[in-house]
Amino acid sequence: MVAVAEAELYLPSSLQDALRVLADGGGAAVPLAGATWAMRAVLRGEELAARYVALSGLDELRTVEVAADGSLAIGACVTHARLGEAVADQPNLRGLHDAATKAANAAVREAATVGGNLSVAAFPAADLVPALLCLDAEVELARPDGNERVSLERFLQLRSELAPGTVLARVHVPAGRLRTAHARLPLRVAGDYPVAIVSVALDVAADGTVARAAVAVGSVEAVARRWPELEAELVGKPVGAEAAAVAAKALSATFHGREGIEAPGWYRVSVLPTLVRRALTALSGQEGNQ
Amino acid sequence: MTIELTVNGETRTVTAAPLTPLAEVLREELYLTGTKQACGEGFCGSCTVLLDDAAAPSCLTPVGMAAGKAVRTIESLAPGMSELSPLQQAMKDADAVQCGMCFPGILMGLTALLARQPEPTEDDVRTALSGHLCRCTGYARIVDAALSVCVPAERGV
Ligand SMILES: Cc1cc2nc3c(=O)[nH]c(=O)nc-3n(C[C@H](O)[C@H](O)[C@H](O)COP(=O)(O)OP(=O)(O)OC[C@H]3O[C@@H](n4cnc5c(N)ncnc54)[C@H](O)[C@@H]3O)c2cc1C
Repeated sequence: MVAVAEAELYLPSSLQDALRVLADGGGAAVPLAGATWAMRAVLRGEELAARYVALSGLDELRTVEVAADGSLAIGACVTHARLGEAVADQPNLRGLHDAATKAANAAVREAATVGGNLSVAAFPAADLVPALLCLDAEVELARPDGNERVSLERFLQLRSELAPGTVLARVHVPAGRLRTAHARLPLRVAGDYPVAIVSVALDVAADGTVARAAVAVGSVEAVARRWPELEAELVGKPVGAEAAAVAAKALSATFHGREGIEAPGWYRVSVLPTLVRRALTALSGQEGNQ
Repeated sequence: MTIELTVNGETRTVTAAPLTPLAEVLREELYLTGTKQACGEGFCGSCTVLLDDAAAPSCLTPVGMAAGKAVRTIESLAPGMSELSPLQQAMKDADAVQCGMCFPGILMGLTALLARQPEPTEDDVRTALSGHLCRCTGYARIVDAALSVCVPAERGV
């Protein structure tokens, strides 16, 4: 077992250098970004890695690029605080903005990164996961022999078994004139993990009806996921918070809430209609593509 | 391992394993005991310091990642203890301080906020305080005292 006093920290000169050291290290070397999850490993009773490869100093992973069409490429080491600033003026990304600026607390948001938030398989309450799931985000994985893009949904399945030398390098968010919202329920505002999260992205047609709906739920089950039954229910109707909450209530049985010390499973499921109502209320005032 | 840090403007060399929490190094190696270590998991805010002017949970910051960054602790707000910073003075005047465990962190969190946003709203102040747990009292005097130093002209300070 590796003690804190024995764990090594490697500061790579480039992403390529990091990938090489991670690949050479086999499973003994792991990426380190904001360190806000990794530094709590001992408290969780987990093993430390022998070697940590610090990615957060790599400038190539710290930019948010907005293309002319409005699509985004978010570097994995962009912190929650920087992401919030970068998307503050994008009316179609209110949901992502709220996820980045309401998660955790101010000091943690300055350190915790997008890549770290998406990479922890054992963390069901990650805010950015549902926010990005409902935007159809893709993840760019970097390996010593090249990069590959996979859907975020696929990455959530792959993330605990990534081959050594694989790093989440960027998150790609396609352009879309959407209305988006992120409703989360922490039991106290003081940095608690949310017990349930509902992120919504709607494409609203000129006649005011929903042309396309994406709803993602976080923290209720072990891994965040889309809610296809509710999405189907929203399409073709006007944006309506009450009707959506009623539909959410009828469809909540599709979730099996996870037990946790801050809330039992049934409670997480029972707050979903309220969070759906809040999300829909938040985005009903938005301009979107009308 | 030898690590060079810049703490409160001075270069300090410490001997520590790179994953040691910065809070522990500040307290145990550099005897800067104003920084408190309470929850050890980033929730309570008592270990908040500034890293390159941004608030940082020093219990979750590996000391090896603080190398090359400017670390500021509570001790830098009133160097020499001669004169308090305006924020400290406001807290004193408002009688906002009780046991003092959370206070160094609160002051560093608010110092970071005011540096970035000299005229915050009450909501901004409350948001900045949301990661700081005070178990003695409410936050009302702290919020009022923080706001009193923000816009001197309007608030007559
Ligand atoms: C007090 C507190 C409150 C919090 N509240 C919330 C909250 O409300 N909502 C929320 O979403 N989160 C919350 N968090 C969790 C926080 O967001 C995570 O700790 C953080 O997202 C992890 O990011 P990091 O950059 O610090 O990751 P690290 O700790 O550096 O890394 C975490 C894991 O991800 C791996 N990793 C990191 N980056 C990459 C990469 N680019 N490629 C591959 N693997 C990688 C590492 O190997 C490690 O296993 C909270 C944390 C704290 C301390």
